[in-house]
Amino acid sequence: MPAPSFTAEQRQRYARHLTLAEMGPVGQQRLMQSRVLIVGVGALGSPVALYLAAAGVGTIGLVDHDQVRLSNLQRQVVHSVDGLEQAKVEVAARTVRSLNPDVMVQTIEATVDERNAMAILGRYDVIVDGTDSFRARYLLSDAAYLLKKPLVHGSIFRIEGQVTVFQPGRGCYRCLYPEPPPAGAIGESEQVGVLAALPGIIGTIQAAETIKLITRVGDGLVNRVLLHDAMAMTFQEVRYQRNRACPLCGDRPSIRSLVDYGAFTGAEAVR
Amino acid sequence: MTDARHHRQRILAEVGEAGQRRLEHASVAIVGVGGLGSPVALYLAAAGVGHLGLVDDQRVELSNLNRQILFEECDVGRPKVEAAAGRLRLLDPALRLDEREENVRASNVAGLLAEYDLVVDGTDAFETKFLLNDAAVLLHKPLVHGAVLQWGGQVTTVLPGGPCLRCLFKEPPEPDEAPTCEEAGIMGAATGVVGSVQAEEALKVLLNVGTPLSGRIFQHDGLGGEARVTTFPRDPNCPVCSPRARITDLSRYDEQVSPRGHVLV
Repeated sequence: MPAPSFTAEQRQRYARHLTLAEMGPVGQQRLMQSRVLIVGVGALGSPVALYLAAAGVGTIGLVDHDQVRLSNLQRQVVHSVDGLEQAKVEVAARTVRSLNPDVMVQTIEATVDERNAMAILGRYDVIVDGTDSFRARYLLSDAAYLLKKPLVHGSIFRIEGQVTVFQPGRGCYRCLYPEPPPAGAIGESEQVGVLAALPGIIGTIQAAETIKLITRVGDGLVNRVLLHDAMAMTFQEVRYQRNRACPLCGDRPSIRSLVDYGAFTGAEAVR
Repeated sequence: MTDARHHRQRILAEVGEAGQRRLEHASVAIVGVGGLGSPVALYLAAAGVGHLGLVDDQRVELSNLNRQILFEECDVGRPKVEAAAGRLRLLDPALRLDEREENVRASNVAGLLAEYDLVVDGTDAFETKFLLNDAAVLLHKPLVHGAVLQWGGQVTTVLPGGPCLRCLFKEPPEPDEAPTCEEAGIMGAATGVVGSVQAEEALKVLLNVGTPLSGRIFQHDGLGGEARVTTFPRDPNCPVCSPRARITDLSRYDEQVSPRGHVLV
């Protein structure tokens, strides 16, 4: 690879990365050449988009079908009042471009489903899960595995959150949770409370894990789930392995293409 | 209006109607509006903390933008407190924001912090971190300390009557022991992790819920992907929060503490 070259402006913008031993010019160039897809531009997607843009990720894809609501602004810090009732992907794209015009932002105003997932995910190097439904989590995990792409998983529930990285062949969401919870057992809707800063912690850890994957440094949260409890302020690491009986990534897989995730998780069509 | 905005927090048992009102009437001083101050300010504003004091004497530089997500490229050259206030008003126009374009020193710290319920440390110099610790102890104000370097960082919460930063680290490190962010570099998202933990701590202290990091320290190693919380005891000889304190009076701080934060008397 030729020695990375930067403009005078880039040398200033990324000065703290260029002097960082593990990153340096090579790591920064990897970031600038990388393509990351953020699925869900809400509580988790907000910090992920902001920190990946700040870091100089070359292309950021934003997927979300929703519009910005007033009740989102309690935690979705990429949005603002002047974006109310507008498409989340467009409002987030404006914030990201203002922070770093070098970033190419691609907006996809859609729900990722079994029909479009392979085509959308296929255009990116790393997938970040910022969704809030079991339907989407199983779908993204299956699609990322079938495309051999790493998936940075994050989720929050009330006062708890978790992060892990699924590297194809080293475990997937189905290895961690073989079965979805019974439909309705765990709320996914507006009826579940969430503390403002919690998605910030989980989302920024997802951003950091994405940056480590792209720059190929450090120990990623592969085969490990980091669990956080906001009220107790504890962090706990739980190890897991690829399940050899996993229907997706096990030794004798039965899932070779995407399935019907609404039926699998008992969810209605996504809200 | 506030009702719809903070709906998801009000239905949280730990917050509720009363908690949300408590946040609305609370005030927080964010000292240092940079890598840590950015997520702290965004999340406290989003959560509905009604009154924020932004304290920073610097202007936005392009080299800030790899991590200081409060700012935009067009803010370069503007005072940070002014640019930050503009961005926070876009999140919630009803917020009361004080722009204090000042560098915190022993001579002005008591005045700067006086009207706030809680202090969040978003500064980047050891001597300022120790000054904020000493001031918080002497003024009986809760302080959420945070610090970050390279790929990781730490957070601890100093509550009135509880252990303080000097119980853990008696003195700031010597200059050759600890490189600056400028020399050693910093991975942007690391400031996000530490700043978000600080915001979460501040909310818990204001709401009086959960277990804050009093006598505990959160340490994040981003490169290793590790986050742990360990406990530490109160130092019975602590120079500021023990009965044998030698730092006793902010008006005599310059006689009691060296310019680099070391205890003199």
